[in-house]
Amino acid sequence: MTENHSASQPQTQRHRVEGPQKHIVVFVLSMVLTIIAFAAVAAGKVNKLFVIFLLLGMAIVQAFAQMAFWMHMKDRGHFFPIIGIVGGVFVVIMLVALALLWTWW
Amino acid sequence: MSAHEHHAGALPPEPEKATLEGRNKILGFWLFLGAETVLFGTLFSAYLAFRNSVLDGPKPEELFQLPMTFIMTVVLLVSSLTSVFAVQAMHRHKTGQMLGWMAVTIALGAVFLGLEIYEFNEYAHEGHRFTTSAFSSAFYTLVGFHGGHVAFGILWIGLVILQILKKGLTVVTAPKVYVSAIYWHFIDVVWVFIFTVVYLMGKV
Amino acid sequence: MAAHAHAVKRYPGFWGWLWDWLTTVDHKKIGILYLVAGGLFFVFGGIEALLIRLQLMFPMNDLISEDFYNELITMHGTTMIFLAAMPVIFALMNAVVPLQIGARDVAFPFVNALGFWTFFFGGLLLNLAWLMGEVPDAGWTAYPPLATTAYSSHHGMDYYVLGLQIAGIGTLLGGINFMATIINLRAPGMTFMRMPMFTWASFITSALIVFAFPALTVGLVAMMFDRIFGANFFNVDAGGNIVLWEHIFWLFGHPEVYILILPAFGVISEVISTFSRKRLFGYSTMVFATILIAFLGFMVWAHHMFTTGLGPVANALFSIATMAIAVPTGIKVFNWLFTMWGGSIRFTAANLYAIGFIPTFVMGGVTGVMLASAPADFQYHDSYFVVGHFHYTIVGGLVTGLLAGIHYWWPKMFGRMLHEGLGKLSFWFYIIGFHLTFFVQHFLGLLGMPRRVATYLPNQGFDTMNLVSTIGAILMTVGIAVFFVNVVITSLKPRHAANDPWEDGRTLEWAIPSPAPEYNFKQIPLVRGLDAWWKEKMEGNKELPPAEPLGPIHMPSPSILPFIMGVGFFISGFGFMYNLVFAVIGLVIVLVCMALRSIFDDHGYHIEPEEPKKGEVAA
Repeated sequence: MTENHSASQPQTQRHRVEGPQKHIVVFVLSMVLTIIAFAAVAAGKVNKLFVIFLLLGMAIVQAFAQMAFWMHMKDRGHFFPIIGIVGGVFVVIMLVALALLWTWW
Repeated sequence: MSAHEHHAGALPPEPEKATLEGRNKILGFWLFLGAETVLFGTLFSAYLAFRNSVLDGPKPEELFQLPMTFIMTVVLLVSSLTSVFAVQAMHRHKTGQMLGWMAVTIALGAVFLGLEIYEFNEYAHEGHRFTTSAFSSAFYTLVGFHGGHVAFGILWIGLVILQILKKGLTVVTAPKVYVSAIYWHFIDVVWVFIFTVVYLMGKV
Repeated sequence: MAAHAHAVKRYPGFWGWLWDWLTTVDHKKIGILYLVAGGLFFVFGGIEALLIRLQLMFPMNDLISEDFYNELITMHGTTMIFLAAMPVIFALMNAVVPLQIGARDVAFPFVNALGFWTFFFGGLLLNLAWLMGEVPDAGWTAYPPLATTAYSSHHGMDYYVLGLQIAGIGTLLGGINFMATIINLRAPGMTFMRMPMFTWASFITSALIVFAFPALTVGLVAMMFDRIFGANFFNVDAGGNIVLWEHIFWLFGHPEVYILILPAFGVISEVISTFSRKRLFGYSTMVFATILIAFLGFMVWAHHMFTTGLGPVANALFSIATMAIAVPTGIKVFNWLFTMWGGSIRFTAANLYAIGFIPTFVMGGVTGVMLASAPADFQYHDSYFVVGHFHYTIVGGLVTGLLAGIHYWWPKMFGRMLHEGLGKLSFWFYIIGFHLTFFVQHFLGLLGMPRRVATYLPNQGFDTMNLVSTIGAILMTVGIAVFFVNVVITSLKPRHAANDPWEDGRTLEWAIPSPAPEYNFKQIPLVRGLDAWWKEKMEGNKELPPAEPLGPIHMPSPSILPFIMGVGFFISGFGFMYNLVFAVIGLVIVLVCMALRSIFDDHGYHIEPEEPKKGEVAA
């Protein structure tokens, strides 16, 4: 709960302007994951369930990397942004569960 | 309350967080993104529920063209990277570079949108219309909502560019750049799940 | 830009007064707007309720037609939940939360006004259905296929779908605003674990709004696309599925009932603690219980769907999760009782409502646990037992809590004390009428009387209890009427409420004048503990310690744009029903207003430090 106080102070001295390197790394990672995902589907003839979990896993890794670095969620003072996204994802899990489990029978 | 504390001196390293108004704006926007997560989650939920309700219309594996989707994905991914560069340029107070990267971002967004419109048009010709089946309704609503967000983002970032040209980079305009960049990344993250869940899983 | 003191022009006369209210971004005035609008819709919903009860007073009554009855139950539920309860909650949040955390305003004053006007125009659109003669009639839950064009071919449900979407935007904006306010604008020393319970409840409620309302929005969009553009979400012939609507509606709808009740919990915590002259018992467990209720609230939606046929596993899961909510709720109830225990209790009107709340809400909670049992629910489902249950929680719980809060904070909102005698009179009429109305409905339900049916045959054992129920409804109406009389009488009296009119105020809002000046705090206070004002009083201080030197106070400028955006949404709502050109025009108005807001920076204006001293007297 104390994160807020750091968020409400202007962070003037501490911050050194970062270079583009790590963002380019995230971009390359995202590209690689995307290419693997498309390749796995284009190849076909692989175990269907395996591919689905592979795709999902790579999407989550890619999203995680982009949110942490591009959206700065890894930086200080992002407690409530994380709460916001985690809360949203929690509800989304419910929504996906109801769509897959409890809509048709 | 602290809106004007930095007007006299030089711009601070993170001008978007220099004022309370700026910090409020960023926090409020993050909470809005939490709401947007649920919004898209509900649309995904509907799409997943109806992924097999194709009826007489074309099936997803017949419909979706992987190369097209791949190009769209790359375009949006690159635009997200250029948007990061814009924010970095802002932190270095290089207003010109920042505007350049923002302009590239919306140009790529426009390309993405153009490709999506072309794609929807193709689908419609193949008999995959909004009213064809529950699957088609859910597909167009989910992907269309995302496209609508891209269109709004283009208008928004465009407006911010015009404002920076007029007012320059200040502690008032900097949060607008930052927040619109966060929005743009969020749209990209949603697209990661759209291409995975809708397009790729539709082809598996 | 710092020098000019009054950037705000104030025009004389009626139009100046009107312009002032239409353009205000002051949270205290917006709170009053919410209260007035919510009160107005509450009267509409109340008249609808009374008509329903009068129709059911006697068996085979033909006071009103079946079609009209369906319209009444639909509009009663929708109006009361979305247009009466929600805005009155926002009224109290606006009036109190910034004061309780020691802030000058909310985080986004402009968005606050926008939230009010979108809510208001959404509600107006929904209620204009009465004038247009095409009224929503598929129940407040709007289950398809009843709500699809196949069975509801007139525009009635379109008003529901569009009105709620627009009002929902306003509610979402309010939720985001209050979360940001509470996170970022707390005064120095006001840590999270020093926040008053009402602020905590508002915070958690706002979070629930942020995560629950988008689901409703998508559900309503899907239904709107079905009805207006021929989509197939809920069209079974084209592969749609009506169960999905039930899921989405209740995934929103169950958090919504906690959105409604948590602020009432917060009010009760404040009122009981103040009038027991004790600090709230178990503050930290109260906070914990509130968070837990909110968290569990998202995992129980399917208990509204036990009879849908999700299967025994799902039913068992949701049954257990639902019963688990009784634990944190029980913690709260015991904490209130222990707060009163050993306190020197004052039975003011506000405290009567608060004390009346506790047993009433417990009864609603007990029937809730009964309903949570899936096998038993097959018996209760769609009967008056359910009607009894949710009126005990929402009327006996929420409305009683809100009335407690309104009596409690009235002097802070308006600078006048409500008449205590009339307040107590209204309480007794209200609470006796309430229990007469709804207690017997449990038994009607167990005897087999179904909900949502316009009449019933005589001699099934329903006759007497329905008569009792209607008499109770009339008594409740009398109670509410006495409250309105009290409001009118009070508003004719001079404004002379003291800063701390209850003399036992514990939280920051009681340290400043009633009503609060437009800048709230001359100097942002330093908070030194839980119940900050009580602590200062106990140490003999007459004022809060300041956390900043006296200086010019920055205020946001008023704006007409929120009102115009509300009008834009209103036009587009009509346009979607009758002519899409107007839908586009309305949305363009909204977008243009957003652009204008972005282009023209609001520099605000400053109130100079010597002004507050004069202002205090004038305010």
